[in-house]
Amino acid sequence: MQIYLPIAELSMNLFFLVGMGGAVGFLSGLFGVGGGFLLTPLLIFSGVPASVAVASVTGQVVAASTSGALSYYRRGQIDLHLASYLISASVFGAFFGVWAFQALRASGQLDLVISVGFLVLLGSVGSLMLTESLGAILRRRAGTLAPGHLPNQHNWFHGLPFRTRFKKSKLYISVLPVLALGLGIGFVGSLLGIGGGFILVPALVYLLRVPGNMVIGTSLVQVVAMMAATTVLHAVSSQSVDILLAFCLMVGGTVGAQFGASAGKYLRGEQLRALLALLVLAVAIRFGLTLVLTPNDVFSTAVVAAGGVI
Amino acid sequence: MKPLLWLLMALVFTGAGKAETLVTQLNRSDVEIAADFRGQMLTLFGTIEPGPGETLVPTGPYHVVVTVTGPLQTRLARRKTNQFGIWINTDEARFESLPSFYQVLSDGKLEDIVSPAVAAEKGFALSAQLHQRAGGRSDVDYSGNLIRLMSDKGLYRADPAGVQFRSDLLFFAGLDLPSDAPPGSYIVKTYLLKDRALIAEHADGFSVRKIGFERFLGQAARQQPWLYGLAAVLLALGTGWLGGVVFRR
Repeated sequence: MQIYLPIAELSMNLFFLVGMGGAVGFLSGLFGVGGGFLLTPLLIFSGVPASVAVASVTGQVVAASTSGALSYYRRGQIDLHLASYLISASVFGAFFGVWAFQALRASGQLDLVISVGFLVLLGSVGSLMLTESLGAILRRRAGTLAPGHLPNQHNWFHGLPFRTRFKKSKLYISVLPVLALGLGIGFVGSLLGIGGGFILVPALVYLLRVPGNMVIGTSLVQVVAMMAATTVLHAVSSQSVDILLAFCLMVGGTVGAQFGASAGKYLRGEQLRALLALLVLAVAIRFGLTLVLTPNDVFSTAVVAAGGVI
Repeated sequence: MKPLLWLLMALVFTGAGKAETLVTQLNRSDVEIAADFRGQMLTLFGTIEPGPGETLVPTGPYHVVVTVTGPLQTRLARRKTNQFGIWINTDEARFESLPSFYQVLSDGKLEDIVSPAVAAEKGFALSAQLHQRAGGRSDVDYSGNLIRLMSDKGLYRADPAGVQFRSDLLFFAGLDLPSDAPPGSYIVKTYLLKDRALIAEHADGFSVRKIGFERFLGQAARQQPWLYGLAAVLLALGTGWLGGVVFRR
Protein backbone atom coordinates (compact mmCIF):
# COMPACT_ATOMS: atom_id res chain seq x y z
CA MET A 1 0.00 0.00 0.00
CA GLN A 2 1.50 3.29 -1.12
CA ILE A 3 1.32 6.45 0.96
CA TYR A 4 2.12 9.94 -0.29
CA LEU A 5 4.53 11.85 1.96
CA PRO A 6 3.55 15.52 1.73
CA ILE A 7 6.90 17.08 2.69
CA ALA A 8 9.21 14.59 0.97
CA GLU A 9 6.80 14.95 -2.00
CA LEU A 10 7.02 11.34 -3.03
CA SER A 11 5.06 8.17 -2.54
CA MET A 12 6.42 5.21 -0.57
CA ASN A 13 5.17 1.83 0.59
CA LEU A 14 3.51 2.10 4.00
CA PHE A 15 4.52 -1.42 5.10
CA PHE A 16 8.11 -0.84 4.03
CA LEU A 17 8.30 2.28 6.23
CA VAL A 18 6.59 0.68 9.23
CA GLY A 19 8.71 -2.46 8.79
CA MET A 20 11.93 -0.46 8.61
CA GLY A 21 10.88 1.46 11.74
CA GLY A 22 10.07 -1.86 13.42
CA ALA A 23 13.39 -3.50 12.55
CA VAL A 24 15.39 -0.52 13.78
CA GLY A 25 13.06 -0.23 16.78
CA PHE A 26 13.79 -3.87 17.66
CA LEU A 27 17.53 -3.14 17.66
CA SER A 28 17.04 0.06 19.63
CA GLY A 29 14.96 -1.75 22.23
CA LEU A 30 17.54 -4.53 22.37
CA PHE A 31 20.50 -2.23 22.87
CA GLY A 32 18.80 0.73 24.54
CA VAL A 33 19.79 3.24 21.85
CA GLY A 34 17.56 5.52 19.79
CA GLY A 35 18.38 3.94 16.45
CA GLY A 36 18.76 7.23 14.58
CA PHE A 37 22.23 6.25 13.38
CA LEU A 38 20.67 3.29 11.49
CA LEU A 39 17.41 4.86 10.38
CA THR A 40 18.79 8.04 8.81
CA PRO A 41 21.17 6.23 6.42
CA LEU A 42 18.48 3.63 5.59
CA LEU A 43 16.00 6.35 4.62
CA ILE A 44 18.53 8.22 2.51
CA PHE A 45 19.35 4.94 0.79
CA SER A 46 15.61 4.41 0.07
CA GLY A 47 15.42 7.68 -1.84
CA VAL A 48 14.16 10.09 0.82
CA PRO A 49 15.96 13.45 0.50
CA ALA A 50 18.74 13.69 3.13
CA SER A 51 17.28 16.79 4.79
CA VAL A 52 13.83 15.20 5.17
CA ALA A 53 15.40 11.97 6.45
CA VAL A 54 17.48 13.67 9.16
CA ALA A 55 14.65 15.97 10.30
CA SER A 56 11.97 13.26 10.35
CA VAL A 57 14.15 10.68 12.10
CA THR A 58 14.67 13.29 14.81
CA GLY A 59 10.92 13.05 15.51
CA GLN A 60 11.03 9.25 15.46
CA VAL A 61 13.87 9.20 18.02
CA VAL A 62 11.69 11.25 20.39
CA ALA A 63 8.96 8.60 20.19
CA ALA A 64 11.39 5.70 20.47
CA SER A 65 12.98 7.13 23.62
CA THR A 66 9.77 8.30 25.32
CA SER A 67 8.38 4.93 26.40
CA GLY A 68 11.79 3.90 27.73
CA ALA A 69 12.24 7.17 29.57
CA LEU A 70 8.78 6.84 31.16
CA SER A 71 9.41 3.33 32.42
CA TYR A 72 12.76 4.39 33.95
CA TYR A 73 10.98 7.39 35.48
CA ARG A 74 8.39 5.14 37.13
CA ARG A 75 11.21 3.10 38.61
CA GLY A 76 12.88 6.26 39.86
CA GLN A 77 16.02 5.61 37.82
CA ILE A 78 16.43 9.10 36.40
CA ASP A 79 18.60 11.85 37.86
CA LEU A 80 16.51 14.84 36.76
CA HIS A 81 18.95 17.29 38.34
CA LEU A 82 21.84 15.99 36.25
CA ALA A 83 19.57 15.66 33.19
CA SER A 84 18.45 19.31 33.45
CA TYR A 85 22.08 20.46 33.10
CA LEU A 86 22.65 18.12 30.15
CA ILE A 87 19.38 19.16 28.47
CA SER A 88 19.88 22.91 28.69
CA ALA A 89 23.41 22.62 27.30
CA SER A 90 22.37 20.23 24.53
CA VAL A 91 19.45 22.39 23.37
CA PHE A 92 21.96 25.22 23.10
CA GLY A 93 24.26 22.94 21.11
CA ALA A 94 21.37 21.89 18.88
CA PHE A 95 20.91 25.52 17.77
CA PHE A 96 24.44 25.48 16.37
CA GLY A 97 23.98 21.99 14.96
CA VAL A 98 20.86 22.94 12.97
CA TRP A 99 22.55 26.14 11.80
CA ALA A 100 25.62 24.19 10.64
CA PHE A 101 23.30 21.67 8.95
CA GLN A 102 21.75 24.46 6.84
CA ALA A 103 25.10 26.04 6.01
CA LEU A 104 26.64 22.71 4.96
CA ARG A 105 23.62 21.80 2.87
CA ALA A 106 23.87 25.08 0.97
CA SER A 107 27.57 24.55 0.26
CA GLY A 108 27.08 20.95 -0.86
CA GLN A 109 29.28 19.42 1.84
CA LEU A 110 26.51 18.01 4.08
CA ASP A 111 26.89 14.44 2.78
CA LEU A 112 30.64 14.59 3.30
CA VAL A 113 30.33 15.87 6.87
CA ILE A 114 27.64 13.28 7.68
CA SER A 115 29.83 10.49 6.30
CA VAL A 116 33.00 11.67 8.07
CA GLY A 117 31.02 12.36 11.25
CA PHE A 118 29.50 8.89 11.32
CA LEU A 119 32.82 7.28 10.41
CA VAL A 120 34.80 9.01 13.17
CA LEU A 121 32.08 8.84 15.81
CA LEU A 122 30.80 5.33 15.21
CA GLY A 123 34.26 4.00 14.40
CA SER A 124 35.82 5.18 17.65
CA VAL A 125 32.83 4.41 19.89
CA GLY A 126 32.38 1.02 18.21
CA SER A 127 36.01 -0.01 18.63
CA LEU A 128 36.08 1.11 22.27
CA MET A 129 32.88 -0.77 23.03
CA LEU A 130 34.07 -3.87 21.22
CA THR A 131 37.38 -4.09 23.07
CA GLU A 132 35.69 -3.39 26.42
CA SER A 133 32.91 -5.94 25.93
CA LEU A 134 35.20 -8.61 24.47
CA GLY A 135 37.48 -8.14 27.46
CA ALA A 136 34.53 -8.62 29.81
CA ILE A 137 33.40 -11.74 27.93
CA LEU A 138 36.92 -13.21 28.07
CA ARG A 139 37.24 -12.41 31.77
CA ARG A 140 33.94 -14.17 32.42
CA ARG A 141 35.10 -17.20 30.39
CA ALA A 142 38.32 -17.27 32.39
CA GLY A 143 36.28 -17.32 35.57
CA THR A 144 37.51 -14.05 37.01
CA LEU A 145 34.56 -11.88 37.98
CA ALA A 146 34.24 -8.51 36.34
CA PRO A 147 34.36 -5.62 38.81
CA GLY A 148 30.86 -4.81 40.04
CA HIS A 149 31.42 -1.09 39.83
CA LEU A 150 34.16 1.05 38.45
CA PRO A 151 37.08 2.02 40.67
CA ASN A 152 36.35 5.39 42.17
CA GLN A 153 39.45 7.10 40.87
CA HIS A 154 39.53 10.84 40.26
CA ASN A 155 39.82 12.41 36.81
CA TRP A 156 41.52 15.70 36.09
CA PHE A 157 38.19 17.48 35.82
CA HIS A 158 37.30 16.70 39.38
CA GLY A 159 39.44 19.71 40.23
CA LEU A 160 37.28 22.08 38.13
CA PRO A 161 35.19 24.82 39.79
CA PHE A 162 31.36 25.09 40.06
CA ARG A 163 30.99 21.78 41.84
CA THR A 164 27.43 20.68 42.37
CA ARG A 165 25.95 17.81 44.33
CA PHE A 166 23.82 15.42 42.27
CA LYS A 167 22.07 13.52 45.05
CA LYS A 168 20.48 10.73 43.05
CA SER A 169 23.72 9.89 41.28
CA LYS A 170 25.67 10.28 44.52
CA LEU A 171 28.07 12.62 42.71
CA TYR A 172 29.75 15.84 43.75
CA ILE A 173 31.33 17.11 40.52
CA SER A 174 31.89 20.28 38.55
CA VAL A 175 29.05 21.17 36.16
CA LEU A 176 31.55 22.22 33.46
CA PRO A 177 32.20 18.74 32.01
CA VAL A 178 28.45 18.04 32.22
CA LEU A 179 27.64 21.19 30.24
CA ALA A 180 30.44 20.53 27.72
CA LEU A 181 29.14 17.00 27.20
CA GLY A 182 25.58 18.29 26.64
CA LEU A 183 26.75 20.98 24.25
CA GLY A 184 28.78 18.51 22.18
CA ILE A 185 25.99 15.91 22.03
CA GLY A 186 23.46 18.60 21.07
CA PHE A 187 25.63 19.83 18.21
CA VAL A 188 26.56 16.41 16.84
CA GLY A 189 23.10 14.92 17.38
CA SER A 190 21.19 17.64 15.55
CA LEU A 191 23.76 17.72 12.74
CA LEU A 192 23.74 13.95 12.14
CA GLY A 193 20.12 13.23 13.06
CA ILE A 194 21.00 10.91 15.94
CA GLY A 195 20.03 10.98 19.60
CA GLY A 196 23.59 10.35 20.68
CA GLY A 197 22.65 7.80 23.33
CA PHE A 198 25.56 5.59 22.28
CA ILE A 199 27.98 8.45 23.03
CA LEU A 200 26.20 9.73 26.13
CA VAL A 201 25.92 6.37 27.91
CA PRO A 202 29.66 5.58 27.83
CA ALA A 203 30.46 9.21 28.67
CA LEU A 204 28.19 9.10 31.73
CA VAL A 205 29.64 5.77 32.81
CA TYR A 206 33.35 6.30 32.21
CA LEU A 207 33.79 10.08 32.47
CA LEU A 208 31.24 11.26 35.03
CA ARG A 209 31.04 7.93 36.94
CA VAL A 210 27.25 8.03 37.08
CA PRO A 211 25.98 4.85 38.82
CA GLY A 212 24.78 2.14 36.44
CA ASN A 213 21.12 2.23 37.50
CA MET A 214 20.87 5.95 36.68
CA VAL A 215 22.76 5.96 33.36
CA ILE A 216 20.17 4.68 30.86
CA GLY A 217 17.20 6.58 32.30
CA THR A 218 19.07 9.88 32.52
CA SER A 219 20.44 9.43 29.01
CA LEU A 220 16.95 8.66 27.65
CA VAL A 221 15.41 11.76 29.23
CA GLN A 222 18.19 13.87 27.78
CA VAL A 223 17.69 12.32 24.31
CA VAL A 224 13.90 12.94 24.42
CA ALA A 225 14.28 16.60 25.40
CA MET A 226 17.14 17.33 23.02
CA MET A 227 15.57 15.62 20.01
CA ALA A 228 12.22 17.30 20.72
CA ALA A 229 13.96 20.67 20.58
CA THR A 230 15.86 19.63 17.44
CA THR A 231 12.63 18.56 15.74
CA VAL A 232 11.13 22.01 16.29
CA LEU A 233 14.36 23.68 15.15
CA HIS A 234 14.45 21.62 11.94
CA ALA A 235 10.74 22.31 11.34
CA VAL A 236 11.38 26.04 11.62
CA SER A 237 14.71 26.33 9.81
CA SER A 238 14.45 23.82 6.96
CA GLN A 239 10.72 22.91 7.03
CA SER A 240 11.69 19.37 6.20
CA VAL A 241 10.03 17.40 9.02
CA ASP A 242 7.60 15.02 7.35
CA ILE A 243 5.03 14.18 10.02
CA LEU A 244 3.54 11.28 8.04
CA LEU A 245 6.97 9.73 7.42
CA ALA A 246 7.93 10.21 11.07
CA PHE A 247 4.61 8.73 12.24
CA CYS A 248 5.03 5.57 10.12
CA LEU A 249 8.53 5.11 11.57
CA MET A 250 7.27 5.82 15.12
CA VAL A 251 4.52 3.22 14.97
CA GLY A 252 6.93 0.56 13.72
CA GLY A 253 9.67 1.70 16.06
CA THR A 254 7.54 1.73 19.22
CA VAL A 255 6.24 -1.79 18.59
CA GLY A 256 9.65 -3.10 17.54
CA ALA A 257 11.32 -1.60 20.59
CA GLN A 258 9.06 -3.60 22.94
CA PHE A 259 10.06 -6.88 21.32
CA GLY A 260 13.69 -5.81 21.30
CA ALA A 261 13.57 -4.99 24.99
CA SER A 262 12.14 -8.41 25.88
CA ALA A 263 14.67 -10.16 23.61
CA GLY A 264 17.42 -8.24 25.42
CA LYS A 265 16.62 -10.06 28.66
CA TYR A 266 18.07 -13.29 27.24
CA LEU A 267 21.47 -11.75 26.59
CA ARG A 268 24.06 -10.63 29.12
CA GLY A 269 25.19 -6.99 29.24
CA GLU A 270 28.63 -7.57 27.72
CA GLN A 271 27.19 -9.74 24.95
CA LEU A 272 24.71 -7.00 24.11
CA ARG A 273 27.47 -4.43 24.11
CA ALA A 274 29.63 -6.59 21.83
CA LEU A 275 26.75 -7.01 19.35
CA LEU A 276 25.95 -3.30 19.41
CA ALA A 277 29.65 -2.55 18.89
CA LEU A 278 29.70 -4.79 15.80
CA LEU A 279 26.59 -3.06 14.44
CA VAL A 280 28.02 0.39 15.09
CA LEU A 281 31.32 -0.61 13.45
CA ALA A 282 29.50 -2.01 10.42
CA VAL A 283 27.70 1.30 9.88
CA ALA A 284 31.00 3.16 10.35
CA ILE A 285 32.71 0.98 7.74
CA ARG A 286 29.80 1.48 5.36
CA PHE A 287 30.25 5.26 5.64
CA GLY A 288 34.01 4.94 5.33
CA LEU A 289 33.59 3.01 2.08
CA THR A 290 31.34 5.68 0.56
CA LEU A 291 34.11 8.18 1.16
CA VAL A 292 36.90 6.10 -0.35
CA LEU A 293 35.30 3.97 -3.06
CA THR A 294 34.65 5.49 -6.47
CA PRO A 295 30.97 6.54 -6.35
CA ASN A 296 28.52 5.07 -8.88
CA ASP A 297 27.82 8.58 -10.01
CA VAL A 298 30.15 11.50 -9.40
CA PHE A 299 27.34 13.88 -10.33
CA SER A 300 24.44 14.82 -8.09
CA THR A 301 21.80 17.51 -8.15
CA ALA A 302 20.00 19.69 -5.62
CA VAL A 303 17.15 22.18 -5.85
CA VAL A 304 17.70 25.76 -4.76
CA ALA A 305 14.52 26.96 -3.03
CA ALA A 306 13.64 30.20 -1.31
CA GLY A 307 14.62 28.76 2.07
CA GLY A 308 17.96 27.38 0.87
CA VAL A 309 19.29 24.34 -0.94
CA ILE A 310 17.11 21.24 -0.57
CA MET B 1 -9.17 49.94 -55.87
CA LYS B 2 -5.56 49.15 -55.23
CA PRO B 3 -5.68 48.91 -51.40
CA LEU B 4 -8.66 46.57 -51.63
CA LEU B 5 -6.75 44.33 -54.03
CA TRP B 6 -3.81 44.18 -51.62
CA LEU B 7 -6.12 43.33 -48.77
CA LEU B 8 -7.72 40.56 -50.81
CA MET B 9 -4.35 39.16 -51.79
CA ALA B 10 -3.16 39.32 -48.19
CA LEU B 11 -6.22 37.40 -47.04
CA VAL B 12 -5.69 34.75 -49.68
CA PHE B 13 -2.04 34.25 -48.82
CA THR B 14 -2.46 34.18 -45.03
CA GLY B 15 -5.46 31.95 -45.49
CA ALA B 16 -3.37 29.59 -47.53
CA GLY B 17 -1.03 29.17 -44.58
CA LYS B 18 -3.94 28.29 -42.27
CA ALA B 19 -5.36 25.29 -44.03
CA GLU B 20 -5.40 23.35 -40.77
CA THR B 21 -6.67 24.05 -37.28
CA LEU B 22 -5.36 22.07 -34.34
CA VAL B 23 -7.93 21.10 -31.72
CA THR B 24 -6.70 19.45 -28.52
CA GLN B 25 -8.21 18.44 -25.21
CA LEU B 26 -6.63 17.10 -22.02
CA ASN B 27 -8.71 14.53 -20.16
CA ARG B 28 -8.29 16.52 -16.94
CA SER B 29 -7.21 19.98 -15.86
CA ASP B 30 -6.42 19.12 -12.23
CA VAL B 31 -4.21 16.43 -10.80
CA GLU B 32 -4.96 16.08 -7.11
CA ILE B 33 -2.42 14.66 -4.69
CA ALA B 34 -4.03 12.79 -1.81
CA ALA B 35 -2.58 10.15 0.51
CA ASP B 36 -2.96 7.43 -2.10
CA PHE B 37 -1.30 9.41 -4.93
CA ARG B 38 0.92 7.11 -6.97
CA GLY B 39 1.42 9.26 -10.03
CA GLN B 40 -1.13 9.98 -12.72
CA MET B 41 -1.61 9.18 -16.37
CA LEU B 42 -3.12 12.04 -18.40
CA THR B 43 -4.26 11.73 -21.99
CA LEU B 44 -4.19 14.49 -24.58
CA PHE B 45 -6.57 14.02 -27.51
CA GLY B 46 -6.21 16.02 -30.66
CA THR B 47 -7.68 16.32 -34.16
CA ILE B 48 -6.64 18.22 -37.23
CA GLU B 49 -9.52 20.16 -38.74
CA PRO B 50 -9.91 22.47 -41.74
CA GLY B 51 -8.85 26.05 -41.06
CA PRO B 52 -11.43 28.85 -40.83
CA GLY B 53 -13.21 29.23 -44.18
CA GLU B 54 -11.60 26.08 -45.53
CA THR B 55 -13.80 23.34 -46.89
CA LEU B 56 -11.17 20.87 -48.04
CA VAL B 57 -10.33 18.04 -45.70
CA PRO B 58 -6.72 18.46 -44.54
CA THR B 59 -4.35 15.99 -46.07
CA GLY B 60 -1.18 14.83 -44.44
CA PRO B 61 0.96 13.15 -43.63
CA TYR B 62 1.07 15.09 -40.38
CA HIS B 63 3.35 14.73 -37.42
CA VAL B 64 2.78 15.91 -33.85
CA VAL B 65 5.16 16.90 -31.07
CA VAL B 66 3.82 17.41 -27.54
CA THR B 67 5.89 19.03 -24.80
CA VAL B 68 4.93 19.00 -21.11
CA THR B 69 6.71 21.55 -18.94
CA GLY B 70 6.44 21.64 -15.15
CA PRO B 71 7.04 24.58 -12.81
CA LEU B 72 10.45 26.23 -13.22
CA GLN B 73 13.12 25.92 -10.55
CA THR B 74 16.80 26.53 -9.90
CA ARG B 75 19.03 23.48 -9.65
CA LEU B 76 22.64 22.78 -8.87
CA ALA B 77 24.63 20.07 -10.63
CA ARG B 78 27.48 18.98 -8.40
CA ARG B 79 30.51 16.91 -9.22
CA LYS B 80 32.63 14.82 -6.88
CA THR B 81 36.35 14.43 -7.38
CA ASN B 82 38.90 12.42 -5.49
CA GLN B 83 40.90 14.63 -3.15
CA PHE B 84 43.59 12.89 -1.09
CA GLY B 85 41.75 9.57 -1.38
CA ILE B 86 38.32 10.92 -0.40
CA TRP B 87 35.46 11.70 -2.78
CA ILE B 88 34.27 15.26 -2.21
CA ASN B 89 31.86 17.58 -4.02
CA THR B 90 34.36 20.01 -5.48
CA ASP B 91 32.56 21.98 -8.16
CA GLU B 92 29.02 22.84 -9.16
CA ALA B 93 27.09 24.61 -11.89
CA ARG B 94 23.87 26.49 -11.29
CA PHE B 95 20.96 26.26 -13.72
CA GLU B 96 18.28 28.95 -13.47
CA SER B 97 14.70 28.71 -14.83
CA LEU B 98 14.95 25.02 -15.45
CA PRO B 99 11.74 22.98 -15.74
CA SER B 100 11.27 20.68 -12.77
CA PHE B 101 9.52 18.33 -15.18
CA TYR B 102 9.85 18.03 -18.95
CA GLN B 103 8.58 15.48 -21.43
CA VAL B 104 8.76 15.69 -25.19
CA LEU B 105 6.47 13.20 -26.92
CA SER B 106 6.26 12.71 -30.67
CA ASP B 107 5.06 10.23 -33.24
CA GLY B 108 8.53 9.61 -34.60
CA LYS B 109 12.15 10.53 -34.05
CA LEU B 110 12.43 14.30 -33.74
CA GLU B 111 15.17 14.50 -36.37
CA ASP B 112 12.90 12.71 -38.87
CA ILE B 113 9.78 14.83 -38.39
CA VAL B 114 11.03 18.32 -37.47
CA SER B 115 13.47 20.56 -39.27
CA PRO B 116 16.48 21.46 -37.11
CA ALA B 117 15.51 25.15 -37.27
CA VAL B 118 12.03 24.56 -35.83
CA ALA B 119 13.35 22.16 -33.20
CA ALA B 120 15.89 24.74 -32.12
CA GLU B 121 13.41 27.62 -32.13
CA LYS B 122 10.87 25.75 -30.02
CA GLY B 123 13.51 24.16 -27.81
CA PHE B 124 12.28 20.57 -28.11
CA ALA B 125 15.49 18.86 -27.04
CA LEU B 126 16.05 17.98 -23.38
CA SER B 127 19.32 19.90 -23.56
CA ALA B 128 17.46 23.04 -24.67
CA GLN B 129 15.85 23.24 -21.20
CA LEU B 130 19.20 23.90 -19.54
CA HIS B 131 20.04 27.16 -21.21
CA GLN B 132 20.87 29.36 -18.21
CA ARG B 133 24.04 27.94 -16.77
CA ALA B 134 26.28 29.78 -14.33
CA GLY B 135 29.51 28.71 -12.68
CA GLY B 136 31.33 25.41 -12.86
CA ARG B 137 34.38 24.35 -14.82
CA SER B 138 34.38 24.82 -18.56
CA ASP B 139 35.71 21.31 -19.24
CA VAL B 140 32.90 19.47 -17.43
CA ASP B 141 29.59 18.51 -19.06
CA TYR B 142 27.18 19.50 -16.26
CA SER B 143 24.17 19.81 -18.60
CA GLY B 144 24.43 16.32 -20.02
CA ASN B 145 24.83 14.79 -16.60
CA LEU B 146 21.97 16.80 -15.11
CA ILE B 147 19.72 15.59 -17.94
CA ARG B 148 20.79 12.04 -17.17
CA LEU B 149 20.04 12.49 -13.44
CA MET B 150 16.63 14.05 -14.17
CA SER B 151 15.84 11.24 -16.63
CA ASP B 152 16.79 8.64 -14.00
CA LYS B 153 14.30 10.27 -11.61
CA GLY B 154 11.59 10.03 -14.29
CA LEU B 155 11.30 13.82 -14.45
CA TYR B 156 12.75 14.26 -17.95
CA ARG B 157 11.75 12.05 -20.84
CA ALA B 158 11.89 12.08 -24.60
CA ASP B 159 9.55 9.50 -26.13
CA PRO B 160 9.51 9.24 -29.93
CA ALA B 161 6.53 6.86 -29.64
CA GLY B 162 4.59 8.98 -27.16
CA VAL B 163 2.10 10.32 -29.72
CA GLN B 164 -0.07 7.85 -31.62
CA PHE B 165 -2.30 8.53 -34.60
CA ARG B 166 -5.64 6.69 -34.55
CA SER B 167 -6.43 7.89 -38.07
CA ASP B 168 -4.82 10.37 -40.44
CA LEU B 169 -6.29 13.28 -38.46
CA LEU B 170 -6.92 11.97 -34.92
CA PHE B 171 -4.13 11.46 -32.42
CA PHE B 172 -3.57 11.05 -28.70
CA ALA B 173 -0.62 11.27 -26.30
CA GLY B 174 -0.19 9.69 -22.87
CA LEU B 175 1.42 11.99 -20.28
CA ASP B 176 2.88 9.98 -17.44
CA LEU B 177 3.32 11.91 -14.17
CA PRO B 178 5.43 10.10 -11.55
CA SER B 179 4.48 10.27 -7.86
CA ASP B 180 7.28 12.75 -7.16
CA ALA B 181 6.14 15.17 -9.88
CA PRO B 182 6.49 18.61 -8.30
CA PRO B 183 3.19 20.37 -7.50
CA GLY B 184 2.46 23.48 -9.59
CA SER B 185 1.28 24.58 -13.03
CA TYR B 186 2.11 22.47 -16.05
CA ILE B 187 1.97 23.65 -19.66
CA VAL B 188 1.23 21.21 -22.47
CA LYS B 189 2.11 22.46 -25.94
CA THR B 190 1.07 20.61 -29.07
CA TYR B 191 2.84 21.30 -32.35
CA LEU B 192 1.48 20.17 -35.72
CA LEU B 193 4.09 19.56 -38.39
CA LYS B 194 3.89 18.86 -42.09
CA ASP B 195 6.93 18.31 -44.28
CA ARG B 196 9.11 19.05 -41.21
CA ALA B 197 7.65 22.57 -40.97
CA LEU B 198 5.49 23.93 -38.15
CA ILE B 199 1.96 24.68 -39.33
CA ALA B 200 -0.05 25.03 -36.13
CA GLU B 201 0.38 24.94 -32.37
CA HIS B 202 -1.89 24.90 -29.37
CA ALA B 203 -1.33 25.20 -25.62
CA ASP B 204 -3.20 23.47 -22.80
CA GLY B 205 -2.45 23.40 -19.11
CA PHE B 206 -3.13 21.49 -15.96
CA SER B 207 -2.21 21.95 -12.34
CA VAL B 208 -0.82 19.46 -9.85
CA ARG B 209 -1.79 20.26 -6.28
CA LYS B 210 -2.09 18.62 -2.92
CA ILE B 211 -5.61 18.34 -1.51
CA GLY B 212 -7.12 17.53 1.86
CA PHE B 213 -4.78 16.39 4.62
CA GLU B 214 -1.69 16.46 2.38
CA ARG B 215 -2.41 20.07 1.46
CA PHE B 216 -3.06 20.96 5.09
CA LEU B 217 0.26 19.43 6.22
CA GLY B 218 2.26 21.05 3.42
CA GLN B 219 0.80 24.47 4.18
CA ALA B 220 1.20 24.09 7.94
CA ALA B 221 4.88 23.17 7.54
CA ARG B 222 5.47 26.34 5.52
CA GLN B 223 3.19 28.85 7.20
CA GLN B 224 3.18 27.74 10.84
CA PRO B 225 6.55 26.01 11.26
CA TRP B 226 6.63 26.49 15.05
CA LEU B 227 3.19 24.95 15.55
CA TYR B 228 4.00 22.24 13.03
CA GLY B 229 7.20 21.35 14.87
CA LEU B 230 5.43 21.32 18.23
CA ALA B 231 2.69 19.13 16.78
CA ALA B 232 5.35 16.70 15.51
CA VAL B 233 6.92 16.55 18.98
CA LEU B 234 3.55 16.04 20.71
CA LEU B 235 2.71 13.29 18.24
CA ALA B 236 6.06 11.62 18.97
CA LEU B 237 5.62 11.89 22.75
CA GLY B 238 2.07 10.60 22.49
CA THR B 239 3.04 7.65 20.30
CA GLY B 240 5.92 6.73 22.58
CA TRP B 241 3.74 7.00 25.69
CA LEU B 242 0.93 4.96 24.11
CA GLY B 243 3.41 2.29 23.04
CA GLY B 244 4.68 2.08 26.59
CA VAL B 245 1.13 1.79 28.01
CA VAL B 246 -0.03 -0.81 25.49
CA PHE B 247 2.97 -3.05 25.94
CA ARG B 248 3.47 -2.58 29.70
CA ARG B 249 3.67 -5.91 31.40
